[in-house]
Amino acid sequence: MKTNMGLRVAAHVFLGLGALTMIFPFLWTLSTSLKNISEVFVFPPTFFGEKIHWENYLRISDRFPFDLYFLNSLKITVIVVIAQLITSSMAGFVFARLRFRYRDLLFGLYLATMMVPGQVTMIPNFIVMRLYGLVDTHWSLILPALVSAFGTFLLRQFFLTIPAALEDAAKMDGCTPFGIYWRIFIPLSKPAMATLGVFVFMGIWNDFLGPLVYINSQNKMTLPLGLASMQGMYSTDWPVLMAGTVISIIPVIVVFLLAQDFFIRGVTLSGLKGE
Amino acid sequence: MNAKRLLHKDGTWAAILLLPNILGFFIFTLFPVAASFLLSFTSWDMLQPIQWVGLQNYTELFRDEIFVKVFWNTLYFSAVTVPSGIVISLLLAVALDQGIKGIKFYRAAYFLPVISSMVAVAVVWQWIYNPEYGVLNYFLGLIGIDGPSWLTSTVWAMPAVMITSIWKGLGFNMLIFLAGLQSIPDSYYEAADIDGARRIDKFRYVTVPLLSPTTFFVTVMSFIGSFQVFDSVFLMTQGGPARSTSVIVHYLYENAFKYFRMGYASSMAYVLFFMVLIITLIQFWRQKKWGVY
Amino acid sequence: MKRLGWILAFVLLFSVLLAGCGGSGGTANTSGNDNSQDSGVGDAAGGPDKAVTLKFMGWEASPLETESVKNGLKAFMEKYPNIKVEYTPVPGAQYSSKLLTMLAGNAAPDVFFLGSTDYRAFRERGVLLDLTPQFGAEFSVDDFIPSAAHIMQIDGKVFGVSSCTVSPVLYYNKSLFDKAGVPYPPSDPAKAWTWREFVDNAKKLTVKNGDKVDQYGAYGFENFYMTVAQIYSNGGQLFNEDGTKMSINSPEAKEVLQAILDLRKKEGAAPEAKMLENIGMRPAQMLQTGKVAMLIDGSWALQELAQMNFPVGVGVLPKFKEPATHGQAHVHAAWANTKHPKEAWELIKFLSSEEYQIQLIKEGLWMPNRKSLYTEEGIARWYNDKVHPEGFKDMVSYFNDAKEYPFALIRQSKVNDIITEEMDKFWYADQTADKTVENIESRANVELAK
Repeated sequence: MKTNMGLRVAAHVFLGLGALTMIFPFLWTLSTSLKNISEVFVFPPTFFGEKIHWENYLRISDRFPFDLYFLNSLKITVIVVIAQLITSSMAGFVFARLRFRYRDLLFGLYLATMMVPGQVTMIPNFIVMRLYGLVDTHWSLILPALVSAFGTFLLRQFFLTIPAALEDAAKMDGCTPFGIYWRIFIPLSKPAMATLGVFVFMGIWNDFLGPLVYINSQNKMTLPLGLASMQGMYSTDWPVLMAGTVISIIPVIVVFLLAQDFFIRGVTLSGLKGE
Repeated sequence: MNAKRLLHKDGTWAAILLLPNILGFFIFTLFPVAASFLLSFTSWDMLQPIQWVGLQNYTELFRDEIFVKVFWNTLYFSAVTVPSGIVISLLLAVALDQGIKGIKFYRAAYFLPVISSMVAVAVVWQWIYNPEYGVLNYFLGLIGIDGPSWLTSTVWAMPAVMITSIWKGLGFNMLIFLAGLQSIPDSYYEAADIDGARRIDKFRYVTVPLLSPTTFFVTVMSFIGSFQVFDSVFLMTQGGPARSTSVIVHYLYENAFKYFRMGYASSMAYVLFFMVLIITLIQFWRQKKWGVY
Repeated sequence: MKRLGWILAFVLLFSVLLAGCGGSGGTANTSGNDNSQDSGVGDAAGGPDKAVTLKFMGWEASPLETESVKNGLKAFMEKYPNIKVEYTPVPGAQYSSKLLTMLAGNAAPDVFFLGSTDYRAFRERGVLLDLTPQFGAEFSVDDFIPSAAHIMQIDGKVFGVSSCTVSPVLYYNKSLFDKAGVPYPPSDPAKAWTWREFVDNAKKLTVKNGDKVDQYGAYGFENFYMTVAQIYSNGGQLFNEDGTKMSINSPEAKEVLQAILDLRKKEGAAPEAKMLENIGMRPAQMLQTGKVAMLIDGSWALQELAQMNFPVGVGVLPKFKEPATHGQAHVHAAWANTKHPKEAWELIKFLSSEEYQIQLIKEGLWMPNRKSLYTEEGIARWYNDKVHPEGFKDMVSYFNDAKEYPFALIRQSKVNDIITEEMDKFWYADQTADKTVENIESRANVELAK
């Protein structure tokens, strides 16, 4: 629809103020990370310190194995993202295209568990992990995340939109169901897969409660937990804390900028779920 | 011949392709859901033998002042964050839908808090709320308001947590609304133009009703999400002062992993489940009534 | 065939070598080790023959403390070359629940720090190794100062040994006192200020700039750890004799709570506890930067204060009726299921030795838990004039005579949470002292009865 000039200016002002509110805390984090401690305690607050104190960034790694946290997060996230894409696409294909007994019942079960809050499964999962001695290992974070009802559901919905005509031809050529899945569905659903991947990435990379419950040793911590434990210990060394925060946010921003469209599509797609 | 037939049967492939998913699903979702239900009727600290206590955990919930308090706190949190989050993000989406320039920039800016972990943003928000050196009270001071000591006041700590939560979630809802707005065909607006409708009328009589499925979806998801709030509370206030910001999941976490009352914590998880169930049933009921979109 | 013979010979040789340095599965120190003299250790410890690795977990209170612990462990491993200690410091906040999780998960460290307030709760769960016989063979409880001895013993048994004691004390910034012309707080318990004197001086040390307070007289009593000391000083109690019921609902306790609240609300000489912490400074920094003139904090803070380059003094707390403080410290305990109880004990023994504690006492972090270190010769072994301010010797008896920290004697950690919650209401939400102690008593008694 067409809009007039005045309205557009108003929209810009409104959006601009909002955007400032959104970005401001991040800029403040960055600016504090480059101050020295006494500049933090200044009133009225100032945005820039006298000098840029890069050394705050060096001080983090003195006491905190940030590279290790980073690698741990990366390892767990990559494994989970790949695994979920595989398990969800296979199962999504089965639920969308193959016919077998109890299919709808089974799928109904998946749907039903989607509304179970994670906290319900947290305690029994913890007990199981404890039983197998997996507490304080990365397995405790990876195993429960290998399969997700949400991912299965999301890809099934997408697969349903793929026209049946495409596979009929393949069937004629003697393709097995797996062949159809692999040669037709997977190539066609790259955007949907990327969307799911981005979603899972966000969830796992930023997960806090999981590592909080399972991980004790410093060398096994993920970035959010490591950062939180650093906050606990350096509760008052604000510049160093903020420097750690900046480092932890950068990878997410990079991934976001690279895959912005998939993020947007993912959100939009999940929004369609309700309709 | 037989083998080949088998290769082309749906059932065979369904079994093969589903196997990993089903294994994970049964072990890490279905079994825990059932186990947690059984656990909620027991008393267990993981060290001493497990004891069946019947409904005792559930009756205790209602007598436990702290649980009652965190229950209301949770509802308070939801009742404020969900409507205000929705109104603001809807307005932002409408503004963004005016065909203005820089939509990519705005989208990215509003999405920044969504993709950042709560751990990262909690630190700076704590500093923003700082009563002496914080920016928020400084700005409030400029317009003549003497700001409270946000995170240490039994009255203001909860609003502070709410503000941060709304701030973090805006971008997500805004994008969903934007998608909803863009799916409204222009012809509806054109028809309204022909009828000589004012802008505000178009918003009221075209946009709002046609957007209602999206709005409803966002509302339901926001409620479910807000019932499960934990990170922001845990990181910013640890539930204090005087439990004024403690919510169900926070108390559940404390009971499970601080006091080691696994059974009692499980009963809380089921109360939470029940709350989510109610909201979900409302959604089903509404879909039935209004037809599926 | 010949080749097989060689292989066999090699295997034999290797197994002998391996046996010589530990190997596996052999019965513990029985026999056949007479050929190991060549190892050249010849240590008096003699002790166990197998090389073992002990897992040791502690919390990281400060980087300095971790450094000290690591130094201590190095000395230990030199003394016992057959024991390797792997130290894992865990961030403080979730320490006890993490530890309990590991114990429940059968994946616990062999030896660990245990907060005195968790000690009895953990014992109750049966996860601590009974150290009574070993302890009896090496130490006597009578060697320890009364508070430490009392806390360590549970029904006459010992499950953990402390290395030190810590107590609340009063720190002050001398230059602020000089500026205001107020005499320094006394360090001799016998000369402790009365509460009235303390309040008057705190008011003199409060500096206002219009509406804003630039400098507060005193800070710290609203922290319940410190509040307890004042309740004791007024003759009040928190719990009954055997720790099964609260007895905080007394005129003495209420008087103290009200007095501390009045110091802030009526006299304006103290800030809100949380407000200053919200400034984002450590208490020590507040004293250093002149935000407060007097700071009530744990004795461990001396380590940090001594490094901050300003004239710091230490004195005793003001008194209501009697000068009083309380003492406690974490214990070192072993897991009931440890595979190396003998080596675990060697480590615990080392950690509570005078030799180990003296290095941390010298730095100002700890105070001794041994009577022998409170005699004149004993004091000379740790006193460090770079750290311990003038007059510190006068107040040494204060630590020796400290009462037990009451929370170390109960086994329900939830009581502490209840008190925090009710006290928050008292400090910040206008709940009356009467109502507060009533609530604490009725709510905590339910927990204590469990």
